[in-house]
Amino acid sequence: MIAGDLVTHLARFARALRSRGVTIGLSDEADAAAALTLVDIGDRAEVRQALLVTLKIRPRDRAVFDELFARLWTDRDSSTAHDRARVEASPRPDGRAAPARLAWGPGASAPERHDAASESETIGYSPEALLRRKPFDECSERELAEMESLLARLAFRLATRRSRRLVPTRGRGLVDLRRSFRRAVGSRGEFVSLARRTRAVDQPRLVVLCDTSGSMDQHTRFLLTFILSLKRTARRTEVFAFNTSLTRLTPWLSAGKIRQTLERLSASVPDWSGGTRIGECLAAFVERYQDELVTPHTVVVILSDGLDRGETAPLVEAMRALRAKARRVIWLNPLLGDPRYRPEARGMAAALPYVDCFAPAHNLESLERLVALVAN
Amino acid sequence: MSPEGRAVQEAMERHGYIAEPSIATAVFLATTLRKPLLVEGEAGVGKTEIAKVLARMLGTELVRLQCYEGLDVNTALYEWNYQRQLLRLRMAEQNGRNPEDLEDLIFGREYLLERPLLRAITRTEGPPVLLIDEVDRADDGFEAFLLEVLSDFQVTIPELGTIRAEHPPYVVLTSNRTREIGDALRRRCLYLYIEHPSLEKEVRIIRWHVPAVSEQLSVQIGRFMHALRERRLSKTPGAAETIDWARALVSLHRDRLDRETLEETLGCILKDPHDIAELGDGERTALVARAQLAEAAAP
Repeated sequence: MIAGDLVTHLARFARALRSRGVTIGLSDEADAAAALTLVDIGDRAEVRQALLVTLKIRPRDRAVFDELFARLWTDRDSSTAHDRARVEASPRPDGRAAPARLAWGPGASAPERHDAASESETIGYSPEALLRRKPFDECSERELAEMESLLARLAFRLATRRSRRLVPTRGRGLVDLRRSFRRAVGSRGEFVSLARRTRAVDQPRLVVLCDTSGSMDQHTRFLLTFILSLKRTARRTEVFAFNTSLTRLTPWLSAGKIRQTLERLSASVPDWSGGTRIGECLAAFVERYQDELVTPHTVVVILSDGLDRGETAPLVEAMRALRAKARRVIWLNPLLGDPRYRPEARGMAAALPYVDCFAPAHNLESLERLVALVAN
Repeated sequence: MSPEGRAVQEAMERHGYIAEPSIATAVFLATTLRKPLLVEGEAGVGKTEIAKVLARMLGTELVRLQCYEGLDVNTALYEWNYQRQLLRLRMAEQNGRNPEDLEDLIFGREYLLERPLLRAITRTEGPPVLLIDEVDRADDGFEAFLLEVLSDFQVTIPELGTIRAEHPPYVVLTSNRTREIGDALRRRCLYLYIEHPSLEKEVRIIRWHVPAVSEQLSVQIGRFMHALRERRLSKTPGAAETIDWARALVSLHRDRLDRETLEETLGCILKDPHDIAELGDGERTALVARAQLAEAAAP
């Protein structure tokens, strides 16, 4: 095989990998081409390993790699066969009709507006009554604004932490010898004032897993506001929706108003308002995304009522994995505001031992309390 | 396998690393293409060992930088020797000289303390092996700084100017995957993911590291570990644990595995209370029984 051919094959192979969601840069391809000139091109195992090493294939992409590599190897000498390897990334079915229940939003209907105006003053009292009388869906614009600022504070509290990295400060802190010494040289070797360093404040990192099943329907407005506030405060927020399957929402949340977002989401999340399989969905998250997104500094927030129809074993397994890796696991449950509710739903009960903070989230007052709780 | 790759495999083995062909290929490519090698894998599979054996193979110095959260340039690259600088300043003052005139002197090479990265770059006797261990523990900011060092092998010290590597080091980075390494850094490197060794390799590893172990016991340990790893564990034991365990069993003068021995030494291989609790009685017996299958096979 002449060198030019090899490069073409390699480029096609890389393209096929990319189309399956494996990130491969041009420099990786260049590395791979260089490596192929060094190894025994007739040795399947060695060629495979050389490509794994140079294309930087992570363990989670191994299966896709091996599948495509099998084709690369068998079809190595016929260039046309490679076209088969160009597997198209499956695009989400667009223009899918939004489920009927997704028609919320400020000013969506006249009665809602009326309610909001008349009840705006009672907010913050008697949370038991509010759960039914005044869920977030019916909040006035002013209340929504208030909620957003609360949520922003919450997001900040949830996710900021003092890093161990030291940065210069004018206030108190450890003596920074390097800078102090520099100053001393300027003042005839006297340490007139000491430069100091203190621990930096880290960028928030959040992962939000949001239940969009039917039982959570009445809280959807809250969920979205919550998520969008988080996204605004902590840029490094990753958002997933789950019901019977898991969907990564982050790409859809770049900007925009709640209403548009809602429409975009309903088109992109399969089975919105359907049933829930929390365990399977969290397990899918752990399997596919945990390595990439959850670090020991990440706070994982799960928004769900815990009404699961699936098995509890995968849920327990996934919660344990999350707990082991993340800095904090917080479960916000809109049903918790209802005095009659006990976390006896099987899924909820199974997940509880692995949750650092289990709190209600159904109205402004509960959010305020949560902000205080998280601060401690 | 290419002759060069095989030569690397044999050299690694001579220096005490029983390498799977995949590892040998990666080391061969990294040293030939002169690119840093990023090694990932679970704890105890022998990531750090690759750098050590590479230094022995090349007969050169191993410079190690252990990463941790908050690692900064002062610790990784260079620091000034303040005590000496101060002393020099005081002396100058007593001699009636203006300290400011001394600036060039006290910020010279003589007063510089080399930290691992600078040491790796300034070594004059030839390229060393630079091991950047557990890079996933350092902050993203440090990763960006590393990227700069690894792409040009030069560093800039404001008071001194730019120092360029005379002999760019061989670089090995390891990561336990507590967080994902940034794409930019990954791009700069070749990437090796190490898995647990095969049964045959593991037995050879045991024998190499614990020569006193009996043939029968080494096979039983290998089988046991393989059977154990099939199970879902929160801390899967690696080859490092296998070696520890073999050493422990040899010190206890055991030459075969049984339930009692397992109970006494379980802490060598399982280091998570949850894992120990979950491994029930029946399962322990079954694992030992599978390991003992080797008795018939072993000569």
